Amino acid sequence: MSVRPAEGSEAGAPTAPASSRPPPVRRDLSRRVLGGVCAGIGRRLGIDPIVLRVGFVAAAVSGGVGILLYAIAWAFVPAEGAQRSAAARIRGRRESWQAAAGTGLLVLSALLVFRELGIWFSDALVWPVVVAAAGAALIWRQSTSATGGGPAAAAPAGRTSALATPGSRTEPPGASPAGAGGGSAAEAAAPTPPRVITGLPLRGGPALSRAGLGVALVLGAGLFFLQANGALGALRDVLLAVVVVLIAVGLILAPWWWRLVRNLTEERTERIRSQERAEMAAHLHDSVLQTLALVQRRAEDPREVAGLARRQERELRAWLTGRSEPEARRSVSTALEGVAAEVEETHGIPIDVVSVGDAPVDDDALTVIAAAREALVNAARFAGEHGPVSLYAEVDDERLHVFVRDRGPGFDPSAIPTDRRGVRESIIGRMQRRGGRATVHAAPGGGGTEVELVMERER
Amino acid sequence: MSGARSFDTVSLVAGMVVIALGGLLLLDRLEVIDIGFGYLFPLLTAATGAILLAGGLAARPGR
Repeated sequence: MSVRPAEGSEAGAPTAPASSRPPPVRRDLSRRVLGGVCAGIGRRLGIDPIVLRVGFVAAAVSGGVGILLYAIAWAFVPAEGAQRSAAARIRGRRESWQAAAGTGLLVLSALLVFRELGIWFSDALVWPVVVAAAGAALIWRQSTSATGGGPAAAAPAGRTSALATPGSRTEPPGASPAGAGGGSAAEAAAPTPPRVITGLPLRGGPALSRAGLGVALVLGAGLFFLQANGALGALRDVLLAVVVVLIAVGLILAPWWWRLVRNLTEERTERIRSQERAEMAAHLHDSVLQTLALVQRRAEDPREVAGLARRQERELRAWLTGRSEPEARRSVSTALEGVAAEVEETHGIPIDVVSVGDAPVDDDALTVIAAAREALVNAARFAGEHGPVSLYAEVDDERLHVFVRDRGPGFDPSAIPTDRRGVRESIIGRMQRRGGRATVHAAPGGGGTEVELVMERER
Repeated sequence: MSGARSFDTVSLVAGMVVIALGGLLLLDRLEVIDIGFGYLFPLLTAATGAILLAGGLAARPGR
Protein backbone atom coordinates (compact mmCIF):
# COMPACT_ATOMS: atom_id res chain seq x y z
CA MET A 1 0.00 0.00 0.00
CA SER A 2 1.29 3.45 -0.78
CA VAL A 3 0.10 6.41 1.16
CA ARG A 4 0.58 9.85 -0.30
CA PRO A 5 -0.08 12.88 1.80
CA ALA A 6 -2.01 15.41 -0.23
CA GLU A 7 -0.80 18.94 -0.57
CA GLY A 8 -2.33 21.37 1.78
CA SER A 9 -3.74 18.61 3.84
CA GLU A 10 -2.33 19.66 7.14
CA ALA A 11 -4.92 18.99 9.72
CA GLY A 12 -4.58 22.33 11.28
CA ALA A 13 -6.89 23.12 14.05
CA PRO A 14 -9.63 25.40 12.78
CA THR A 15 -9.72 28.70 14.50
CA ALA A 16 -12.94 29.44 16.28
CA PRO A 17 -14.66 32.63 15.24
CA ALA A 18 -14.33 35.40 17.71
CA SER A 19 -17.33 35.56 19.97
CA SER A 20 -19.47 38.61 19.51
CA ARG A 21 -21.54 38.02 22.63
CA PRO A 22 -21.62 40.86 25.12
CA PRO A 23 -19.68 40.29 28.34
CA PRO A 24 -21.60 38.85 31.30
CA VAL A 25 -22.84 41.04 34.13
CA ARG A 26 -20.28 41.65 36.86
CA ARG A 27 -20.59 43.64 40.05
CA ASP A 28 -18.61 46.85 39.62
CA LEU A 29 -16.68 47.25 42.87
CA SER A 30 -14.83 50.36 41.71
CA ARG A 31 -18.02 52.45 41.63
CA ARG A 32 -19.96 50.67 44.31
CA VAL A 33 -22.11 52.12 47.05
CA LEU A 34 -22.88 48.80 48.72
CA GLY A 35 -22.06 45.68 46.76
CA GLY A 36 -21.66 47.13 43.27
CA VAL A 37 -24.83 45.49 41.94
CA CYS A 38 -26.42 48.64 40.53
CA ALA A 39 -23.10 49.89 39.13
CA GLY A 40 -22.47 46.56 37.39
CA ILE A 41 -25.97 46.24 35.95
CA GLY A 42 -25.96 49.87 34.90
CA ARG A 43 -22.65 49.50 33.11
CA ARG A 44 -23.85 46.34 31.37
CA LEU A 45 -27.15 47.96 30.27
CA GLY A 46 -25.60 51.32 29.50
CA ILE A 47 -27.74 53.32 31.92
CA ASP A 48 -26.90 55.47 34.90
CA PRO A 49 -26.67 53.36 38.08
CA ILE A 50 -28.41 56.17 39.97
CA VAL A 51 -31.64 55.17 38.23
CA LEU A 52 -31.25 51.59 39.40
CA ARG A 53 -30.35 52.67 42.92
CA VAL A 54 -33.48 54.80 43.15
CA GLY A 55 -35.51 51.84 41.95
CA PHE A 56 -33.98 49.48 44.51
CA VAL A 57 -34.50 51.99 47.34
CA ALA A 58 -38.12 52.52 46.32
CA ALA A 59 -38.70 48.76 46.23
CA ALA A 60 -36.99 48.39 49.61
CA VAL A 61 -39.09 51.08 51.24
CA SER A 62 -42.35 49.71 49.85
CA GLY A 63 -42.26 46.35 51.55
CA GLY A 64 -38.64 45.28 51.59
CA VAL A 65 -38.72 43.50 48.25
CA GLY A 66 -35.83 45.63 47.01
CA ILE A 67 -33.62 44.33 49.80
CA LEU A 68 -34.42 40.76 48.86
CA LEU A 69 -33.76 41.40 45.18
CA TYR A 70 -30.49 43.18 45.95
CA ALA A 71 -29.36 40.34 48.19
CA ILE A 72 -30.16 37.78 45.51
CA ALA A 73 -28.30 39.81 42.89
CA TRP A 74 -25.31 40.21 45.20
CA ALA A 75 -25.26 36.49 45.86
CA PHE A 76 -25.58 35.33 42.27
CA VAL A 77 -23.69 37.99 40.29
CA PRO A 78 -19.93 37.53 40.61
CA ALA A 79 -17.76 40.53 41.33
CA GLU A 80 -15.40 41.94 38.74
CA GLY A 81 -12.32 39.75 38.52
CA ALA A 82 -13.92 36.91 40.48
CA GLN A 83 -14.40 33.59 38.78
CA ARG A 84 -17.55 32.65 40.65
CA SER A 85 -20.34 34.36 42.52
CA ALA A 86 -20.75 34.12 46.28
CA ALA A 87 -23.59 31.64 45.80
CA ALA A 88 -21.46 29.55 43.46
CA ARG A 89 -18.65 29.50 46.02
CA ILE A 90 -21.06 28.42 48.72
CA ARG A 91 -22.63 25.77 46.50
CA GLY A 92 -19.39 23.88 46.21
CA ARG A 93 -19.26 23.18 49.91
CA ARG A 94 -20.75 20.34 51.80
CA GLU A 95 -22.15 22.76 54.36
CA SER A 96 -23.88 24.87 51.72
CA TRP A 97 -27.25 24.05 53.29
CA GLN A 98 -26.14 25.87 56.43
CA ALA A 99 -25.28 29.00 54.52
CA ALA A 100 -28.55 28.78 52.57
CA ALA A 101 -30.61 28.29 55.73
CA GLY A 102 -28.75 31.09 57.48
CA THR A 103 -29.28 33.48 54.59
CA GLY A 104 -32.95 32.56 54.47
CA LEU A 105 -33.40 33.16 58.19
CA LEU A 106 -31.64 36.52 57.99
CA VAL A 107 -33.85 37.63 55.10
CA LEU A 108 -36.92 36.38 57.00
CA SER A 109 -35.94 38.29 60.11
CA ALA A 110 -35.37 41.47 58.09
CA LEU A 111 -38.80 41.12 56.50
CA LEU A 112 -40.42 40.53 59.90
CA VAL A 113 -38.74 43.63 61.31
CA PHE A 114 -39.95 45.70 58.35
CA ARG A 115 -43.42 44.31 58.90
CA GLU A 116 -43.31 45.17 62.58
CA LEU A 117 -42.11 48.69 61.81
CA GLY A 118 -44.98 49.19 59.39
CA ILE A 119 -42.73 49.49 56.35
CA TRP A 120 -44.78 46.92 54.64
CA PHE A 121 -46.72 46.66 51.46
CA SER A 122 -49.10 43.78 52.08
CA ASP A 123 -48.96 40.23 53.38
CA ALA A 124 -50.83 39.19 50.26
CA LEU A 125 -48.00 40.48 48.09
CA VAL A 126 -44.72 40.15 49.98
CA TRP A 127 -44.98 36.56 51.20
CA PRO A 128 -45.95 35.14 47.79
CA VAL A 129 -43.06 37.10 46.28
CA VAL A 130 -40.67 35.70 48.87
CA VAL A 131 -41.84 32.12 48.32
CA ALA A 132 -41.75 32.54 44.54
CA ALA A 133 -38.24 33.99 44.75
CA ALA A 134 -37.10 30.98 46.78
CA GLY A 135 -38.62 28.63 44.21
CA ALA A 136 -37.11 30.55 41.32
CA ALA A 137 -33.71 30.42 43.02
CA LEU A 138 -33.99 26.65 43.32
CA ILE A 139 -34.98 26.27 39.66
CA TRP A 140 -32.26 28.67 38.58
CA ARG A 141 -29.64 26.84 40.56
CA GLN A 142 -30.72 23.54 39.08
CA SER A 143 -30.68 24.89 35.53
CA THR A 144 -27.28 26.54 35.88
CA SER A 145 -25.68 23.55 37.55
CA ALA A 146 -27.14 21.18 34.99
CA THR A 147 -26.13 23.14 31.92
CA GLY A 148 -22.76 24.67 32.26
CA GLY A 149 -23.41 25.94 28.77
CA GLY A 150 -26.22 23.62 27.76
CA PRO A 151 -28.24 20.72 29.06
CA ALA A 152 -26.17 18.24 27.13
CA ALA A 153 -23.15 19.24 29.07
CA ALA A 154 -24.65 17.76 32.18
CA ALA A 155 -23.54 14.35 31.04
CA PRO A 156 -20.31 13.38 29.39
CA ALA A 157 -20.40 12.86 25.68
CA GLY A 158 -21.16 9.35 24.61
CA ARG A 159 -22.87 8.48 27.80
CA THR A 160 -24.80 5.34 27.23
CA SER A 161 -27.96 3.96 28.56
CA ALA A 162 -29.41 0.54 28.31
CA LEU A 163 -32.81 2.03 27.70
CA ALA A 164 -33.65 2.91 24.14
CA THR A 165 -35.50 6.16 23.95
CA PRO A 166 -37.10 7.92 21.02
CA GLY A 167 -34.47 9.82 19.23
CA SER A 168 -31.72 7.55 20.38
CA ARG A 169 -29.50 5.86 17.89
CA THR A 170 -28.45 2.27 17.72
CA GLU A 171 -24.93 1.76 16.60
CA PRO A 172 -24.87 -1.03 14.10
CA PRO A 173 -22.98 -4.12 15.14
CA GLY A 174 -21.15 -4.27 11.92
CA ALA A 175 -20.15 -0.69 11.70
CA SER A 176 -16.51 -1.37 11.94
CA PRO A 177 -13.69 -1.77 9.52
CA ALA A 178 -13.14 -5.37 10.40
CA GLY A 179 -13.68 -8.12 8.01
CA ALA A 180 -12.51 -11.28 6.48
CA GLY A 181 -9.00 -12.27 7.08
CA GLY A 182 -8.46 -9.25 9.14
CA GLY A 183 -5.73 -10.66 11.27
CA SER A 184 -4.39 -8.16 13.71
CA ALA A 185 -5.93 -5.29 11.80
CA ALA A 186 -9.30 -6.94 12.00
CA GLU A 187 -8.90 -7.51 15.70
CA ALA A 188 -7.79 -3.96 16.23
CA ALA A 189 -10.86 -2.66 14.52
CA ALA A 190 -13.20 -5.30 15.86
CA PRO A 191 -16.82 -4.21 15.80
CA THR A 192 -18.75 -3.89 18.96
CA PRO A 193 -22.16 -5.36 19.69
CA PRO A 194 -25.18 -3.13 19.30
CA ARG A 195 -25.44 -0.40 21.86
CA VAL A 196 -27.88 2.38 22.31
CA ILE A 197 -26.59 5.90 22.59
CA THR A 198 -28.92 8.49 23.90
CA GLY A 199 -28.58 12.19 23.61
CA LEU A 200 -30.28 12.73 26.92
CA PRO A 201 -28.22 13.27 30.02
CA LEU A 202 -28.96 10.97 32.91
CA ARG A 203 -30.17 13.18 35.72
CA GLY A 204 -30.03 12.32 39.36
CA GLY A 205 -32.92 12.18 41.76
CA PRO A 206 -31.75 15.04 44.02
CA ALA A 207 -31.48 17.42 41.07
CA LEU A 208 -34.99 16.56 39.94
CA SER A 209 -36.37 16.89 43.44
CA ARG A 210 -34.73 20.33 43.81
CA ALA A 211 -36.24 21.50 40.54
CA GLY A 212 -39.58 19.97 41.54
CA LEU A 213 -39.51 21.75 44.88
CA GLY A 214 -38.74 25.02 43.11
CA VAL A 215 -41.66 24.58 40.73
CA ALA A 216 -43.94 23.69 43.64
CA LEU A 217 -42.87 26.80 45.54
CA VAL A 218 -43.52 29.08 42.57
CA LEU A 219 -46.91 27.51 41.88
CA GLY A 220 -47.80 27.60 45.57
CA ALA A 221 -46.84 31.26 45.77
CA GLY A 222 -49.05 32.02 42.79
CA LEU A 223 -51.99 30.19 44.31
CA PHE A 224 -51.39 31.87 47.66
CA PHE A 225 -51.35 35.26 45.96
CA LEU A 226 -54.60 34.54 44.14
CA GLN A 227 -56.22 33.22 47.31
CA ALA A 228 -55.10 36.22 49.35
CA ASN A 229 -56.47 38.61 46.76
CA GLY A 230 -59.77 36.78 46.37
CA ALA A 231 -59.15 35.79 42.79
CA LEU A 232 -58.92 32.07 43.40
CA GLY A 233 -62.67 31.53 43.30
CA ALA A 234 -63.02 32.57 39.67
CA LEU A 235 -59.87 30.69 38.74
CA ARG A 236 -61.18 27.60 40.53
CA ASP A 237 -64.35 27.67 38.46
CA VAL A 238 -62.39 27.97 35.24
CA LEU A 239 -59.96 25.24 36.25
CA LEU A 240 -62.81 22.95 37.26
CA ALA A 241 -64.45 23.37 33.86
CA VAL A 242 -61.16 22.75 32.08
CA VAL A 243 -60.42 19.64 34.14
CA VAL A 244 -63.89 18.21 33.51
CA VAL A 245 -63.56 18.80 29.77
CA LEU A 246 -60.08 17.27 29.73
CA ILE A 247 -61.26 14.19 31.60
CA ALA A 248 -64.19 13.77 29.23
CA VAL A 249 -61.98 14.15 26.16
CA GLY A 250 -59.45 11.77 27.69
CA LEU A 251 -62.09 9.12 28.32
CA ILE A 252 -63.33 9.44 24.73
CA LEU A 253 -59.89 9.33 23.15
CA ALA A 254 -58.30 6.84 25.53
CA PRO A 255 -58.86 3.70 23.36
CA TRP A 256 -57.41 5.39 20.26
CA TRP A 257 -54.56 6.84 22.22
CA TRP A 258 -53.75 3.49 23.77
CA ARG A 259 -53.85 1.77 20.39
CA LEU A 260 -51.65 4.46 18.86
CA VAL A 261 -49.06 4.12 21.59
CA ARG A 262 -49.06 0.35 21.26
CA ASN A 263 -48.71 0.51 17.47
CA LEU A 264 -45.89 3.02 17.69
CA THR A 265 -44.10 0.85 20.23
CA GLU A 266 -44.48 -2.25 18.11
CA GLU A 267 -43.38 -0.40 14.98
CA ARG A 268 -40.36 0.99 16.73
CA THR A 269 -39.41 -2.38 18.12
CA GLU A 270 -39.78 -3.98 14.69
CA ARG A 271 -37.74 -1.22 13.07
CA ILE A 272 -34.92 -1.64 15.57
CA ARG A 273 -35.06 -5.41 15.13
CA SER A 274 -34.92 -5.19 11.35
CA GLN A 275 -32.06 -2.72 11.51
CA GLU A 276 -30.09 -4.99 13.79
CA ARG A 277 -30.87 -7.93 11.51
CA ALA A 278 -29.64 -5.99 8.48
CA GLU A 279 -26.48 -4.90 10.27
CA MET A 280 -25.77 -8.43 11.40
CA ALA A 281 -26.30 -9.71 7.86
CA ALA A 282 -23.96 -7.03 6.53
CA HIS A 283 -21.33 -7.97 9.06
CA LEU A 284 -21.62 -11.67 8.29
CA HIS A 285 -21.33 -10.89 4.61
CA ASP A 286 -18.25 -8.75 5.15
CA SER A 287 -16.52 -11.27 7.36
CA VAL A 288 -17.62 -14.89 7.24
CA LEU A 289 -18.91 -15.07 3.67
CA GLN A 290 -15.87 -13.25 2.32
CA THR A 291 -13.56 -15.57 4.18
CA LEU A 292 -15.44 -18.62 2.91
CA ALA A 293 -15.10 -17.30 -0.65
CA LEU A 294 -11.37 -16.83 -0.12
CA VAL A 295 -11.09 -20.33 1.32
CA GLN A 296 -12.71 -21.76 -1.79
CA ARG A 297 -10.35 -19.83 -4.07
CA ARG A 298 -7.25 -20.88 -2.15
CA ALA A 299 -8.24 -24.41 -1.29
CA GLU A 300 -4.98 -25.74 -2.71
CA ASP A 301 -2.95 -24.03 0.04
CA PRO A 302 -3.85 -25.62 3.41
CA ARG A 303 -1.62 -23.25 5.41
CA GLU A 304 -3.24 -20.15 4.00
CA VAL A 305 -6.69 -21.60 4.50
CA ALA A 306 -5.84 -22.38 8.11
CA GLY A 307 -4.57 -18.83 8.58
CA LEU A 308 -7.74 -17.38 7.12
CA ALA A 309 -9.83 -19.54 9.43
CA ARG A 310 -7.83 -18.49 12.49
CA ARG A 311 -8.13 -14.80 11.69
CA GLN A 312 -11.84 -15.14 11.06
CA GLU A 313 -12.29 -16.99 14.32
CA ARG A 314 -10.45 -14.26 16.23
CA GLU A 315 -12.52 -11.56 14.57
CA LEU A 316 -15.79 -13.33 15.31
CA ARG A 317 -14.85 -13.94 18.93
CA ALA A 318 -13.91 -10.27 19.36
CA TRP A 319 -17.20 -9.21 17.82
CA LEU A 320 -19.26 -11.58 19.96
CA THR A 321 -17.58 -10.53 23.20
CA GLY A 322 -17.83 -6.85 22.34
CA ARG A 323 -14.13 -6.31 22.76
CA SER A 324 -13.09 -3.05 21.21
CA GLU A 325 -9.58 -1.95 20.46
CA PRO A 326 -9.27 1.82 20.10
CA GLU A 327 -5.83 1.69 18.47
CA ALA A 328 -7.12 1.69 14.91
CA ARG A 329 -9.97 4.05 15.78
CA ARG A 330 -7.89 7.05 16.66
CA SER A 331 -8.42 8.88 13.40
CA VAL A 332 -10.29 8.40 10.18
CA SER A 333 -7.18 8.44 7.99
CA THR A 334 -5.40 5.90 10.21
CA ALA A 335 -8.42 3.60 10.17
CA LEU A 336 -8.75 3.89 6.38
CA GLU A 337 -5.06 3.11 5.92
CA GLY A 338 -5.45 0.12 8.22
CA VAL A 339 -8.41 -1.16 6.25
CA ALA A 340 -6.58 -0.67 2.95
CA ALA A 341 -3.53 -2.49 4.30
CA GLU A 342 -5.69 -5.36 5.48
CA VAL A 343 -7.43 -5.74 2.10
CA GLU A 344 -4.11 -5.36 0.28
CA GLU A 345 -2.59 -8.13 2.37
CA THR A 346 -5.56 -10.44 2.10
CA HIS A 347 -6.17 -10.09 -1.64
CA GLY A 348 -2.66 -9.29 -2.81
CA ILE A 349 -3.48 -6.20 -4.87
CA PRO A 350 -1.89 -2.72 -4.50
CA ILE A 351 -4.07 0.04 -3.04
CA ASP A 352 -3.16 3.73 -3.21
CA VAL A 353 -4.48 5.77 -0.29
CA VAL A 354 -4.74 9.56 -0.34
CA SER A 355 -6.39 11.35 2.53
CA VAL A 356 -7.01 15.05 2.99
CA GLY A 357 -7.77 16.23 6.49
CA ASP A 358 -8.43 14.06 9.48
CA ALA A 359 -10.82 13.65 12.37
CA PRO A 360 -11.41 11.34 15.30
CA VAL A 361 -13.36 8.21 14.54
CA ASP A 362 -16.95 8.44 15.65
CA ASP A 363 -19.95 6.28 14.87
CA ASP A 364 -20.56 7.95 11.51
CA ALA A 365 -16.94 7.47 10.54
CA LEU A 366 -17.08 3.81 11.52
CA THR A 367 -19.94 3.32 9.10
CA VAL A 368 -18.04 5.03 6.27
CA ILE A 369 -14.92 3.00 7.02
CA ALA A 370 -16.87 -0.26 6.98
CA ALA A 371 -18.53 0.66 3.67
CA ALA A 372 -15.16 1.73 2.21
CA ARG A 373 -13.67 -1.58 3.24
CA GLU A 374 -16.42 -3.47 1.47
CA ALA A 375 -15.89 -1.34 -1.66
CA LEU A 376 -12.16 -2.10 -1.53
CA VAL A 377 -12.85 -5.82 -1.18
CA ASN A 378 -15.18 -5.70 -4.19
CA ALA A 379 -12.60 -3.82 -6.22
CA ALA A 380 -9.89 -6.30 -5.22
CA ARG A 381 -12.03 -9.29 -6.10
CA PHE A 382 -13.43 -8.12 -9.40
CA ALA A 383 -10.90 -5.63 -10.73
CA GLY A 384 -7.66 -6.36 -8.92
CA GLU A 385 -5.87 -7.71 -11.96
CA HIS A 386 -6.59 -4.55 -14.00
CA GLY A 387 -4.35 -2.27 -11.99
CA PRO A 388 -4.08 -0.66 -8.60
CA VAL A 389 -7.16 0.33 -6.64
CA SER A 390 -7.24 3.87 -5.26
CA LEU A 391 -8.88 5.20 -2.14
CA TYR A 392 -9.30 8.95 -1.79
CA ALA A 393 -10.75 10.49 1.37
CA GLU A 394 -11.65 14.07 2.24
CA VAL A 395 -12.40 14.71 5.88
CA ASP A 396 -13.47 18.05 7.28
CA ASP A 397 -15.79 19.41 9.93
CA GLU A 398 -18.86 19.12 7.74
CA ARG A 399 -18.58 15.79 5.96
CA LEU A 400 -16.69 12.61 5.25
CA HIS A 401 -16.17 12.03 1.54
CA VAL A 402 -14.56 8.80 0.35
CA PHE A 403 -13.98 7.53 -3.20
CA VAL A 404 -12.90 3.99 -4.07
CA ARG A 405 -11.87 3.60 -7.71
CA ASP A 406 -10.73 0.63 -9.75
CA ARG A 407 -9.79 0.11 -13.38
CA GLY A 408 -11.80 -3.03 -13.89
CA PRO A 409 -14.37 -3.88 -16.55
CA GLY A 410 -17.17 -2.08 -14.71
CA PHE A 411 -20.69 -3.33 -14.21
CA ASP A 412 -24.31 -2.28 -14.19
CA PRO A 413 -25.40 -1.72 -10.58
CA SER A 414 -29.06 -2.24 -11.47
CA ALA A 415 -28.25 -5.70 -12.80
CA ILE A 416 -26.97 -7.05 -9.49
CA PRO A 417 -28.96 -10.14 -8.46
CA THR A 418 -31.20 -9.62 -5.47
CA ASP A 419 -29.47 -12.34 -3.45
CA ARG A 420 -26.13 -10.51 -3.58
CA ARG A 421 -25.72 -8.30 -0.54
CA GLY A 422 -22.29 -6.75 -1.04
CA VAL A 423 -23.11 -3.47 -2.79
CA ARG A 424 -26.78 -3.33 -1.83
CA GLU A 425 -26.52 -3.93 1.91
CA SER A 426 -22.91 -3.64 3.02
CA ILE A 427 -22.34 -0.37 1.17
CA ILE A 428 -25.55 1.41 0.15
CA GLY A 429 -27.84 0.07 2.89
CA ARG A 430 -25.23 0.57 5.59
CA MET A 431 -24.68 4.20 4.59
CA GLN A 432 -28.40 4.94 4.29
CA ARG A 433 -29.20 3.49 7.69
CA ARG A 434 -26.76 5.95 9.21
CA GLY A 435 -28.07 8.91 7.22
CA GLY A 436 -25.33 8.89 4.62
CA ARG A 437 -25.24 8.29 0.89
CA ALA A 438 -23.45 5.78 -1.33
CA THR A 439 -23.35 6.05 -5.10
CA VAL A 440 -21.83 3.59 -7.54
CA HIS A 441 -20.51 5.20 -10.72
CA ALA A 442 -19.79 2.29 -13.02
CA ALA A 443 -18.95 2.27 -16.70
CA PRO A 444 -19.55 -1.18 -18.19
CA GLY A 445 -17.08 -2.08 -20.88
CA GLY A 446 -13.77 -1.30 -19.21
CA GLY A 447 -14.41 2.15 -17.82
CA GLY A 448 -13.82 1.10 -14.26
CA THR A 449 -15.96 1.63 -11.17
CA GLU A 450 -16.08 4.38 -8.60
CA VAL A 451 -17.90 4.07 -5.28
CA GLU A 452 -18.64 7.44 -3.67
CA LEU A 453 -19.45 7.57 0.04
CA VAL A 454 -20.75 10.77 1.64
CA MET A 455 -21.60 11.23 5.30
CA GLU A 456 -22.60 14.63 6.64
CA ARG A 457 -21.09 15.08 10.07
CA GLU A 458 -22.99 16.13 13.14
CA ARG A 459 -21.68 19.47 14.38
CA MET B 1 5.93 29.11 73.28
CA SER B 2 3.22 28.47 70.78
CA GLY B 3 2.45 30.73 67.86
CA ALA B 4 -0.74 32.66 67.17
CA ARG B 5 -3.75 30.87 68.55
CA SER B 6 -6.45 30.00 66.06
CA PHE B 7 -10.07 30.61 66.93
CA ASP B 8 -13.31 29.07 65.80
CA THR B 9 -15.23 31.55 63.66
CA VAL B 10 -18.58 29.91 64.39
CA SER B 11 -18.03 30.08 68.13
CA LEU B 12 -16.94 33.69 67.83
CA VAL B 13 -20.02 34.69 65.86
CA ALA B 14 -22.31 32.68 68.14
CA GLY B 15 -20.81 34.30 71.22
CA MET B 16 -21.19 37.79 69.78
CA VAL B 17 -24.77 37.08 68.80
CA VAL B 18 -25.64 35.78 72.26
CA ILE B 19 -23.96 38.80 73.88
CA ALA B 20 -25.95 41.13 71.64
CA LEU B 21 -29.18 39.32 72.43
CA GLY B 22 -28.42 39.39 76.12
CA GLY B 23 -27.71 43.12 75.95
CA LEU B 24 -30.98 43.82 74.19
CA LEU B 25 -32.94 41.74 76.70
CA LEU B 26 -31.19 43.53 79.54
CA LEU B 27 -32.15 46.90 78.07
CA ASP B 28 -35.71 45.63 77.77
CA ARG B 29 -35.63 44.53 81.41
CA LEU B 30 -34.35 47.96 82.44
CA GLU B 31 -37.21 49.45 80.41
CA VAL B 32 -34.81 51.39 78.24
CA ILE B 33 -36.32 49.80 75.18
CA ASP B 34 -39.43 47.72 74.68
CA ILE B 35 -38.98 44.45 72.87
CA GLY B 36 -42.24 42.69 72.20
CA PHE B 37 -42.74 39.35 70.54
CA GLY B 38 -42.97 41.10 67.20
CA TYR B 39 -39.32 42.11 67.53
CA LEU B 40 -38.06 39.22 69.62
CA PHE B 41 -39.01 36.58 67.09
CA PRO B 42 -37.11 38.28 64.21
CA LEU B 43 -34.15 38.78 66.53
CA LEU B 44 -34.02 35.09 67.40
CA THR B 45 -34.42 34.22 63.75
CA ALA B 46 -31.61 36.56 62.78
CA ALA B 47 -29.36 35.16 65.49
CA THR B 48 -29.95 31.61 64.31
CA GLY B 49 -29.41 32.68 60.72
CA ALA B 50 -26.16 34.46 61.51
CA ILE B 51 -24.75 31.42 63.30
CA LEU B 52 -25.78 29.09 60.49
CA LEU B 53 -24.34 31.41 57.87
CA ALA B 54 -21.08 31.68 59.75
CA GLY B 55 -20.90 27.90 60.01
CA GLY B 56 -21.57 27.48 56.31
CA LEU B 57 -19.04 30.08 55.23
CA ALA B 58 -16.36 29.03 57.69
CA ALA B 59 -16.46 25.37 56.68
CA ARG B 60 -13.67 24.25 54.41
CA PRO B 61 -14.36 22.04 51.38
CA GLY B 62 -13.80 18.40 52.07
CA ARG B 63 -13.91 18.80 55.78
